[in-house]
Amino acid sequence: MSAPWVDLDPTLVVVAAGTTAVGAVSGALGCFAYLRRQGLVGDVVSHSALLGVVGAFVLAHAVTGTATRSLAVLVPGALLAGTAALTLARSVSTRTRLNDDASLGVMLSIFFGGGLFLLRWVQRQSPPIPGHTGLEDYIFGMAAAMTRADLWMVFTLGGGALLLLLLLWKELKVFTFDPDFSRSLGLPSRRLDLLMMALLVTGVVIGIQTVGVILMIALLVTPAAAARQWTSRLSNMVLLAAAFGAVAGAGGALISASEARLPTGPVVVLLATAIFGLSLLLAPRRGLLARARARRALEGTAPPAAGGPA
Amino acid sequence: MIQRGSLERSEQLALDVEGLTVTYGHEPALWNADVRLDRGSLAAVVGPNGAGKSTLLKAALGVVPRVSGRVRVLGEDPARRRRLVAYVPQRSSVDWDFPTTVLDVVIMGTYGQLGWFRRPGRKERALAMGALEQMELADLAGRQISELSGGQQQRAFLARALVQDAEVYFMDEPFAGVDAVTEQSIASLMGHLAQRGKTILSVHHDLATVPRYFEHAVLLNRVVQAVGTVKEVFHRGNLDRLYGGRVPADVPELAST
Repeated sequence: MSAPWVDLDPTLVVVAAGTTAVGAVSGALGCFAYLRRQGLVGDVVSHSALLGVVGAFVLAHAVTGTATRSLAVLVPGALLAGTAALTLARSVSTRTRLNDDASLGVMLSIFFGGGLFLLRWVQRQSPPIPGHTGLEDYIFGMAAAMTRADLWMVFTLGGGALLLLLLLWKELKVFTFDPDFSRSLGLPSRRLDLLMMALLVTGVVIGIQTVGVILMIALLVTPAAAARQWTSRLSNMVLLAAAFGAVAGAGGALISASEARLPTGPVVVLLATAIFGLSLLLAPRRGLLARARARRALEGTAPPAAGGPA
Repeated sequence: MIQRGSLERSEQLALDVEGLTVTYGHEPALWNADVRLDRGSLAAVVGPNGAGKSTLLKAALGVVPRVSGRVRVLGEDPARRRRLVAYVPQRSSVDWDFPTTVLDVVIMGTYGQLGWFRRPGRKERALAMGALEQMELADLAGRQISELSGGQQQRAFLARALVQDAEVYFMDEPFAGVDAVTEQSIASLMGHLAQRGKTILSVHHDLATVPRYFEHAVLLNRVVQAVGTVKEVFHRGNLDRLYGGRVPADVPELAST
């Protein structure tokens, strides 16, 4: 039996490299969304990205006359739609009595609904726009469609986001932990907030081709939640979440390329979920098993003497 | 350094608030407030819930937009005095399950001096360890912050403020939810700082301990009712007005005034 990785299909190499990079980047960036409790924000960005992707496709076709599904065209559309949804949600919650969650939910529905509507409209055009048949893949993801150019897009955007994270590490850390204190130091909280949003949006849009707009949130939050179980240092948490995301991404690509013909996105997400489940059970100190053991050890001992009768 | 040099000949006022009005939406949080504090003051901000006590601190830090009025810290705009000011936020304002260690939190006190992009190094760690020793937390330096008791959390926050090596300290309820031993150590820390000429303005809820821990008081209920030494302003007449006649009769040290 020959080793299966010797004769890897070059397409699979591109796809696996892409899903690995997407997993690592979204795992790392997801930690900050997780700690700032902004999971819903990420979900709004990814759902509204459908409208951006389909809109960019239609616009590119109208302007150039050719149909393209390259990430270089679709990612700016997704970025724009995600940012627009967040900006609108914020202005709704500051100008009305709707709270943040409600206005985010409203924007998610409007933009995702709009995306589905536009998608259906594109598919019903006659004569049909060439290349439109792949657009619905953005809902659930289609990693196999990743080209070499798409891979570079993922590397560039993801690498840029990670570099910013590294450069502004201490500022983002203190801003996330204690925003009031960071303001007292003179850090520009509004700009840091925007930067966090931009990083989150970047993490989302580079992943939607692989896992799709619906499941993307899982790839942001699940590796972070799993990593949090194992460590109590932010730097380790980010590294571990990146590693978990990368393993899920690589594993998803390899498994779905095997005979089973499974869809990549859902497999990636299921792997990340499995890692989370194991972490929840097995992690030292925070894990369910460790806590049950600690509780049992406590029950075996006598109550502290100080509380007893004098 | 330049800031400290110019401080020598600067005025005696640590905090100078004039006609300050701050609103949240349409609700005024502070109305036409005047507060003057000499350097070396040890002052409590006292008043009912929603009186704008935290807002006064945030205005002094220059982090809330003001509708009108003027704020000077050591004779300058707060934005130009950040290196000389330390802030201790309410303990409950942060998530203590954040993945970080006690030492890391205290090192955050050096971030202002470090400036953008520079990382804390050996010198910053040594400063932080010194502050932890001062707050008797050195043996917990490597602990995850979620494992701290309320009193230890508060002392970690104070250690972070000490690292800032400031001239003026703004504290938001540093005594909230700490045990009697911690309360004593916080009070003596404040006393030491004031003796060294540092200025402290602290939001405080326990009326009974105001005369014991503080020398000055700011009585605040959206408008400033009185500012002065505890002896002058902290008496039953003022407090009854401040709290609408609902001051418990057994505030012990009030009886003598």
